Amino acid sequence: MKLKGTYAMPAPRDEVWAALLDPAVLARTLPGCKSLQETGPDEYAMQMSLVISSVKGLFEGKVRIMDQQPPESYRIEVEGRGKIGFVNGGGAFLLKDAGDVTDIDYEGEVKVGGMIASVGQRLMDMTSKMMIKRFFTALEDEITERE
Amino acid sequence: MATTTTTPELKTYIGKRVRRVEDPRLITGTATYVDDIRKPGMLHAAVLRSPYAAAKITGIAIEKALALPGVKAVYTGKDVAAVGPVPCAGSMEDLRIPDHRILARERVYYVGHPVVAVVATDRYIAADALDLIEVDYEPTEVISDPEEALKDGAVRVHPEYPDNVAFTYKQAKGDVDKAFEEADFTCEERILVPRLAPIPMETRGVVADWDEGAKELTLYSSTQIPHLLKTQLALQLDMPEHHIRVIAPEVGGGFGSKCNVWAEEALACFVAMDLKKPIKWIESRRESIQVVAHGRAHVDTIEIAAKKDGTLTGLKLHIVCDIGAHHQLLTPIIPTLAVLMLPGLYKFRSFKASLVGAFTNRAPSDLYRGAGRPEATYVLERIVDKMARILGMDPAEIRFKNFPEPAEFPFETVTGLQYDSGDYAAAFHKALDKIDYKACREEQKKARAEGRLYGIGISTYGELCAFGPSPATPAGGWECASVNVKATGKVEVLTGISPHGQGEETSFSQMVADAFGIPMSDVVVIHGDTAKVSYGIGTFGSRGIAIGGSALHLAMQDIVAKATKYAAHILDVDADTVTFKNGTFSSSAAEQTLSFADVALETHLCRKLPPGTEPGLTATRFFEPSNFAFPFGAHICTVEVDQETGETTILRFVAVDDCGKIINPLLVEGQIHGGVAQGLGPAFMEGVIYDEEGQLLNGTMMDYAIPKARHMPWIETDRTETPSTVNPLGVKGVGEAGTIGSLPAFVNAVVDALSPLGVDHVDIPMTPQSIWRVIQERSRS
Repeated sequence: MKLKGTYAMPAPRDEVWAALLDPAVLARTLPGCKSLQETGPDEYAMQMSLVISSVKGLFEGKVRIMDQQPPESYRIEVEGRGKIGFVNGGGAFLLKDAGDVTDIDYEGEVKVGGMIASVGQRLMDMTSKMMIKRFFTALEDEITERE
Repeated sequence: MATTTTTPELKTYIGKRVRRVEDPRLITGTATYVDDIRKPGMLHAAVLRSPYAAAKITGIAIEKALALPGVKAVYTGKDVAAVGPVPCAGSMEDLRIPDHRILARERVYYVGHPVVAVVATDRYIAADALDLIEVDYEPTEVISDPEEALKDGAVRVHPEYPDNVAFTYKQAKGDVDKAFEEADFTCEERILVPRLAPIPMETRGVVADWDEGAKELTLYSSTQIPHLLKTQLALQLDMPEHHIRVIAPEVGGGFGSKCNVWAEEALACFVAMDLKKPIKWIESRRESIQVVAHGRAHVDTIEIAAKKDGTLTGLKLHIVCDIGAHHQLLTPIIPTLAVLMLPGLYKFRSFKASLVGAFTNRAPSDLYRGAGRPEATYVLERIVDKMARILGMDPAEIRFKNFPEPAEFPFETVTGLQYDSGDYAAAFHKALDKIDYKACREEQKKARAEGRLYGIGISTYGELCAFGPSPATPAGGWECASVNVKATGKVEVLTGISPHGQGEETSFSQMVADAFGIPMSDVVVIHGDTAKVSYGIGTFGSRGIAIGGSALHLAMQDIVAKATKYAAHILDVDADTVTFKNGTFSSSAAEQTLSFADVALETHLCRKLPPGTEPGLTATRFFEPSNFAFPFGAHICTVEVDQETGETTILRFVAVDDCGKIINPLLVEGQIHGGVAQGLGPAFMEGVIYDEEGQLLNGTMMDYAIPKARHMPWIETDRTETPSTVNPLGVKGVGEAGTIGSLPAFVNAVVDALSPLGVDHVDIPMTPQSIWRVIQERSRS
C-alpha cells in the first residue's frame, strides 16, 4: 500500500523538525505507541498496538531514521511483528517552509502480512489515513502547546 | 405399522420426489459432526501458520507456550519428522513433487503453511498458546503470480526447481495447424479462471483416538474418502492398515475440498499416539479459506478455427495452472481433466492442448466442484460464442451445427473420450423452448432500441462423470456394496461411497425398497466407517449412484436370487416357477405366497435349508464401470445490465440437464440449484485474491463473497433422460452439472448485453465495478 500526502503544520520548520525526531514526542503522538526506546544511534525499539477491522494486536518492531538532512528531509524504516501478522514500511519526509506553516510532504509504502492482510485489507487504506491524520493532529497539539 | 403381515398397495419409489431421510436429523441439530464428538480425556489442538509467503525458519521458541497452564504439548516440524509426506497421486513423467511435510521444517512456502501444533485442555487455551510461540522467520523473495513464476529468472518457490515448473501435459490430435491455416475464421481469447475457495458449511475437522491396549487408531474426519484416507494414513504413519479405522461421521459438505489427504489428519493421529490421548482439531473458517485447496486457478489461452458455415474445425488451448507451493492429493490431475473435456459437445476435427503447472508462493490448489470441467466448459463456451459473433451466426445455431447426432453414439471426441449416449439437440431445444428464445431475442431488440443492455447467454455443456474406470483413476474407480437382510426382513446396506450432502441414504433406500418391495423405512444405509464397510473409493466426481448404486444393484440381484431359492424350497416348487414382485414370492405351482420378510426369517432359522445353499441372506458385490458417463445439458439465462451502476440483474435462468436415469428428481434439482449457486459465485463475485507478496487479501467471509439467497435467480429446471450405457442403472451423475453449465451462460449473457458497446469478452468475477469500468471505457472510445 502506498501512502502520500502533505500536512501543513502551523509552526516554524526548525520546531517541526525537532518534534518529528524527538522520541519522547513520537511516543506520545504515534497512534497506538506503547513505548519507543532508543537502542542505538537513530534506532529505536517500538511497541505499538494496532486495530484494524475486527483485528487487534500488539506489534514489536524496529524504527530506523536515515539520510537526515536537517531541517529538511529524512527517511524512516519500520519493521514490526506481532501475533496478527507483520508490518514493514519505509517512507521519506520532506519539510518545506510555506509562509506561516511548514508543509510536511510524506511518501511511503507499507507492506502487511498474515492475519491483518487477510482480514483487514478492506479497511487498511482507511485505517492508515486515519492513523496519519491522528499522528499529525497530535503532533500539532504537542507543538502548539509548547508555545 | 405392521410391515409383513398385511400387504397394502405397495408403492414404488424410484423416479419419485421422495424427501431426504437425512434431513430430520440435520434440521433438528441432532446429527453428529466431528465437532460433536467428545472422548474422555480429549485434548484440543491448534495450528500456528506462517504469516509469510516465503521465509526461512531460523528458530522456534516454544517455552512460553508450554508454560501456559492447560498446555500439554507443542510439536514442531522436527518433532513430527517421522510422519511421511502428504501424498500426491499425479503421475506425469516430469512431475515434481516437493517434500510436503505435515509441519514446515526449514522453510515456509505460503501464507498459512502449518508450522507448529499446540495441544491443550481446551480449544481456547490452545489458540492462546499459539500467540506465545515465537518463530524467527527470515523472509525471502516471493513469487505470487503463476505467469510471472514461469518467466526466466523468476524467484524460485522451491530452490531445487529452477523454473517453477511443477509438471507439463500435452495432448493433440489431427492436423490442427492445417485446420487453422485453412479456416475461414479464427479467433483467440485469453481467459482468467480465478482461484475459488470451496467454503463447505462445515470446515475440516478431526478427532484421533488411540487405543493403547488394542493398538488401534480411530480417526474421525470430515472426509469424502474415508477408505483411501485409511490406506494413506497407514503409509504416512508406517502403521499396519488393519489397526486403523477411519470414520466419516456427518459431513457438512465438501465440494471436493474433503476429497483429499490433509496434513492435519496425520498430525492428529501422530499426536494422539504420542500422548496416548484423544485429540480434536477443528479448522477455523479463516484457516479454511486460507489453506483448503483452492479450485480453478487457470490462465487459459484458447483459439478456435471455423468454416464460414459455422463448422468448428480446430481448437488450441494453453493452460497455466497456478498449483501453489505444494501438491495436494489430486493437484496435477485436475487441470488435465480440463484438457480431456475441452471439446465439450462439439465435433472438432483437430485440437492441441498444452498445460503447465506453475509453483507459486500460494496455498495449494486442487479439486473444487467440477474439477477441470467448469474451466474447460467456460473457455470453450466463451470462444464458441465469440466465433458465432464473428460469423454473424446465432449462438444457438453454431451449437446445433456442431453437435454429434444421436446415431453417432458412442461418440469418440477429438480428445479420445468415448461419450456413452446423448441427444444434445433435444436437451438444447427443450431449453430454448422453455425460455422462448425467439421472444427473448425480440425483447432484446426492443430493449436495445430503448438503450437498455439486455443479454441472452447460452451454454451447452458436457460433463465427465461417474468416476470411473479404474485404469483412468489414481486409486481404483470401482465401488463396493453389501446388502445384509436381517432375520426380521429389515435391510442394512453398506456402501463404499461416502455421501456428504448428496442424499444416497435416500436414493439407495428408494432402490432397495423397490427391489425388495419393502417400505423405505425398512432400509438403513451405512457409509463412511472403514470398520463396517469393507472398502470403497468414496464420493466425488458424481460417482455415488452410478458406481456405488450399481454395486448395490448387483448385490440386490444376488439377494433376490438366493431368496428365490429359499422361497422355492419352502413352497416346495421348482425355482423356475417362482416370481418375485412387489415384495411377494409366488409360484404358479403353489397357492401360498411368501413375503420378503418371511423368506428373510427362513434364511436365518434354516428349518428348510435348500440343498447346496448356505444360511443367511447377505451379498457383497463390486462394480467396475467400463467407462465414464457423460451427462450434458443446456443452460440459458437472460440478464439486464444497469448502464449506470454496472450491476447485472438475472431475469430468467433455465437449466435443462440430462443426467441419465433419475432415481429422485428432488435430489437432482437440489444438485442443480446448489451447482448453479457455485457457478453464479465465480461469475459475479467470487475469487481468492493474493497480492504480489503472496498475501491473501480476502481471507474472511466479510471479504470473500459467495452468493446469498438474495443473489439467486429463480431456477427453472427441466430434463431429458438419456440412459447411460456404462452402468446397469443407466444413471450418469449430476453433482457438477449446475456449476459447469451455469457459469458460461452467465458470462455469455453479460457479454451479449454489452455487445452493442463492442465488448466481446469480460473476465470474471463480473462485479458491478468491473462491468461499470468496461461500460465507461467503451462509451468513451
